[in-house]
Amino acid sequence: MPLRIGVDAGGTFTDVYLLDEESGNTAVTKVSSTPEDPGSAVISGVLRILEEFPGDHALNSVAYFAHGTTVATNTLLQTTGVRTGLITTQGFRDLLELGRQRRPRLYDLSALKPEPFVPRDLRLEVPERLRHDGQVARDLDLDRVRAQVRRLRDAGVEAVAVCLLYSYVSPKHEQAIGEILAEEFPEAYVSLSSEVHPEFREYERLSTVVTNAYVGPIMSRYLGGLRDALDAAGLRCTPYVTQSNGGIISFGESQRLPVRTALSGPSTGVVGAAQVAAAAGFRDVLTFDMGGTSTDVSLVNDATPRTVSGIEIAGRPVHAPMLDINTVGAGGGSIAWIDSGGHLKTGPRSAGAAPGPVCYGQGGTEPTVTDANVVLGILHQTHLLAGTMAIDAAAAHRAVEAMAGRLGMSAEEAATGIVSVVTANMARALRVISVQRGHNPRGYCLVAFGGAGPLHAARLARELGIPHVLVPRRPGALSALGMLTTDLRTDHARTQVTRLTDGAATACATAFSGLQTEAEAWFAHEAIPEERRVLRRVVDLRYVGQNYELSVPLPGGPVTEDALARLREDFHAAHERMYGYRATGDTVEAVTFRVEAIGTVDVPHAAPEPLGDPDAAAAVTGHRSVYLAESGGRADVPVHDRARLRPGHRLPGPALVDQYDTTTLVPPGDEAVVDGHHNIVITIGGAP
Amino acid sequence: MIDPVQVEVIGSALSSIADEMGETLVKASYSTNIKERRDCTTALFDARGRTLAQAEHIPIHLGSLMGIVDAVRDRYPDEAIRDGDTFIGNDPHTGGGTHLPDIVLVTPIFVDGAIAAWATNLAHHADFADRTHAHIYTEGLRIPAIRFARDWEINDEVFALILLNCQVPAERVADFRAQLAANRCGVRRYRELCDRYGQGVLDEAGAALLDYTERKIRAGIAAIPDGTYAATDVFDSDELDGELDVGLELTVDGEEMRLDFTAPPQVRASLNLVFTALQATVFYAVKTVVDPDAPANAGLHRPITVDAPYGSLLNASPPAAVNGRTQCCQRVVDLVHAALAQAVPDRVIAACNSAVTAATFSGDDPRTGAYYVYLETIGGGYGAGACFDGMDGVQVHITNTSNLPVESLEAEYPLLVEEYALVDDSGGPGRHRGGMGIQRRIRAEHDGCVCNTSTTRLRSKPWGLLGGWPGASARVTDGDGNPLPGTVRTLSDGQVVAVFTPGAGGYGDPRERAPEDVARDLREERISPQTAKEAYGVESDG
Repeated sequence: MPLRIGVDAGGTFTDVYLLDEESGNTAVTKVSSTPEDPGSAVISGVLRILEEFPGDHALNSVAYFAHGTTVATNTLLQTTGVRTGLITTQGFRDLLELGRQRRPRLYDLSALKPEPFVPRDLRLEVPERLRHDGQVARDLDLDRVRAQVRRLRDAGVEAVAVCLLYSYVSPKHEQAIGEILAEEFPEAYVSLSSEVHPEFREYERLSTVVTNAYVGPIMSRYLGGLRDALDAAGLRCTPYVTQSNGGIISFGESQRLPVRTALSGPSTGVVGAAQVAAAAGFRDVLTFDMGGTSTDVSLVNDATPRTVSGIEIAGRPVHAPMLDINTVGAGGGSIAWIDSGGHLKTGPRSAGAAPGPVCYGQGGTEPTVTDANVVLGILHQTHLLAGTMAIDAAAAHRAVEAMAGRLGMSAEEAATGIVSVVTANMARALRVISVQRGHNPRGYCLVAFGGAGPLHAARLARELGIPHVLVPRRPGALSALGMLTTDLRTDHARTQVTRLTDGAATACATAFSGLQTEAEAWFAHEAIPEERRVLRRVVDLRYVGQNYELSVPLPGGPVTEDALARLREDFHAAHERMYGYRATGDTVEAVTFRVEAIGTVDVPHAAPEPLGDPDAAAAVTGHRSVYLAESGGRADVPVHDRARLRPGHRLPGPALVDQYDTTTLVPPGDEAVVDGHHNIVITIGGAP
Repeated sequence: MIDPVQVEVIGSALSSIADEMGETLVKASYSTNIKERRDCTTALFDARGRTLAQAEHIPIHLGSLMGIVDAVRDRYPDEAIRDGDTFIGNDPHTGGGTHLPDIVLVTPIFVDGAIAAWATNLAHHADFADRTHAHIYTEGLRIPAIRFARDWEINDEVFALILLNCQVPAERVADFRAQLAANRCGVRRYRELCDRYGQGVLDEAGAALLDYTERKIRAGIAAIPDGTYAATDVFDSDELDGELDVGLELTVDGEEMRLDFTAPPQVRASLNLVFTALQATVFYAVKTVVDPDAPANAGLHRPITVDAPYGSLLNASPPAAVNGRTQCCQRVVDLVHAALAQAVPDRVIAACNSAVTAATFSGDDPRTGAYYVYLETIGGGYGAGACFDGMDGVQVHITNTSNLPVESLEAEYPLLVEEYALVDDSGGPGRHRGGMGIQRRIRAEHDGCVCNTSTTRLRSKPWGLLGGWPGASARVTDGDGNPLPGTVRTLSDGQVVAVFTPGAGGYGDPRERAPEDVARDLREERISPQTAKEAYGVESDG
């Protein structure tokens, strides 16, 4: 009986999701994370779920194992990477600090740039220089390289990053340095920019390769240790780790390119959300993952999450294929306050897990978004987490009331205000990834998860004109679910600026054939069978003269002049959608050619259950008095137990649904229905 | 009355419109100064021309946008302005800019047949190159506030006149198209917002947003001890022979602030400020100390009074030249911070590099035969504060442009960057060290390459605070380190110009600096053994 296991090791909990391929049965369990040694929670979670799952199972019956980890992310955020050295082109050792020369905040005099991962005395220069076309303007001084490598070795660095100007055009000099490193300093963890991120803009490439080297040894040790522990526990299949692009990769590849896992946690949540929504018939989706301290939102078109080529992590650019996830520092624990101009604000300060919101009774005194939801009656009045955590609603009420007094409002009005302000922050985050990228949210379904997502989703949807909200059956374990069914994926890219004029087909075909060769080698190395191999081609295009590109897919088939003509037309259309005009007379040029190599994974779909009686009365466990801004007063609202909801149940708003780690609000005027996969689908009233 | 929650919600939506306009402008433009260096700004104005929201790009641009709507309305009665019109302007002396390369496009947003708001943006067109600066007529084309487009179509005749006066017209065509697209995006988004809330609510929210900023600024000023604080400094430039004295008397009276500047008569050089440039600079400087988080809208101005003698360096009358005004603007920020340091020393920083060091290269590209203009402004040291060292090598105060990546620069222009690095030993010693300046060495790869440079703090040094020492001065040299006087030189193939921007002032007595920080600066070659000894009293082996 082949089993699949996905393990998402987060900061607080490690979620384990199990799927029995034969029966389609699933199970979920949660264990506390072990930040000192994250692998031990992984092993104990896996062993526990095998024990809990009906039947007699051992780790050797697991046919598929995928793991999401925050080890790389935390190393970057807490700056706990290894002592790292850099070898770079003469004249440019300070580039890592200079960056793009901009300061982080315009008006805040105390907002400083982050410290570079490599201190100045470990950034060493070597004589060499290429020109923009790859011609050698100055030969690489090999003796000097050898001397600099020895200097780094003697300085006790553990990792070495190499980044030379124009290495994306010609990697020869970097490769020569790599060979000398292998001879002189074989124990060093080495990253070459031409391997990690062979694309133009020297600072972004430099920052990326330095980041890769800085986290490399940490990730290598972690994954190496976990691999050994899993082997010892009896795992027979190849374990995979999730990447920021939403795909998975073998442990070995991740040890070489850890920078690609920097944002793996939220990305599999998006993949899970996209799958759940697609199975429910929604292929265009906005995901909304609202937790305690932060919220991640992203956009999914035709069941495929949108990707970007890079972002900044704590002020340092990291360029690697990743899902386009916009994170804002606001969540359920965000503290509400009144600023010096008399406006109500929420965040970015958060009460975190300790002291937590006022209602936790652990010493918090400033009202949070969670406290506002307690005051409004949307959250349970005595307990959270399915009765396992007692709360002090009166304390929440007192804290919100104190703030309300200063605003000249009632406690309920102030609590409503807190929810409105946090909803506006979320709406702004969603506009960035939808409207600002040329996509109208009116055509999308909002998938809400995380502890606070389902509380606020319906009102957020109304704010943005989104017609439907979907709350998955297990909103707390979507990342682990996403891992079970995600594809193996790696991305190959090459910057080669090519004008798409007549006769360009040969050059483009050559660029792609090199990438396809790399992709084939990867397929072979990962032992992906022929029938599961998918190659997707994408070209980053712009008008000659522009410096920002739009990614346009190039369908399969030979790269002919006709195919390029269609590609150009697709670019004009994409440009018009994005910026409101097309420059038909201007020449279009390709900048970066990309091949996404995908090893597909079978997704066992449970068939939807038939819809039954719409009457959900059997799931009602009681009523709560809820203050509803929509009707301007309190009403007795029925509370449903999520576990007792059945496909077909209809819940006209106002209604509440409680489950272990979240509560769903169906506001007045909206209606929820439980679909055949046990999702709650809310239709926003008055929506087209 | 509209409730503060709704004001907050609508304010957030207005800011996101200004941000989206900014992204459209940067990504759709062709010239390196806009697409990579982001030397541009976008904003929404209310019907009366007051700033509602500005994207966080470049503070001095706030001054360039001030007055453009008034200038349009002075020329055109309401009934002559139609939906789909866009107006253009760049003239500092008649409204619509603070120097000629900053060209503003402003588009009325019509709702129900009336002007409800204005979408505006400004882009610094790297053109008007290799000019002189006796007066404004020698600096470039002056464009009054006139109609540029009707029904979203650019007026061919006006455009032909402008393009004929530009040296790189192909870039201009594309950049103007991107500017028009940015305003169009603002119009579309504002109307969507209006569909959702109604114009009445948006008007009320807009007015309330300005009041809100005013309250915040007043609360911030009230927290500063009352009194009159004076500061003086000198201003120098490679365009001037000597130094000019500038001064400020800053009075805090309850929740209002008054700033009276003294300055010499305006100069026959590019360095003068028109009054809107002075205002924008003062608003920036005051906001950094009083309330960095207040929204950048017109409410900011209300509790602040600014004055400087008309016809002076800081409040120039026509036909003063103004192209290099930012050098002097940075000194105005220093004056404001120096005065406020006497009242709230923990909330200001020592003098930053106090320049907007610009290097412009132009000529005929032998690879294409076409004329090119490459403009770069180079950052420098950032002043140290009460709790932190100043940043090394960043853009400071009234500007925040990006550098142009070397890999983009060398592909576009016949130039080679030999070095881009921090200047060792340039940060002013102190308990907290001032930031280091930048050196950038550029080699011409063809004959007849005209190189213009502009900077300040060549003679004076950025001051330190509370016992902190000053940072190093600026200098411009040839490839062998020989000083290059003046502002213009013609390079032949292989010749090098090296620009060294100033460091910044330190904060507090250097002898109080933590020994491990001195040791790290020594190890990292940020300071010399000599400085370690003389300033910090630390002997080293090196």
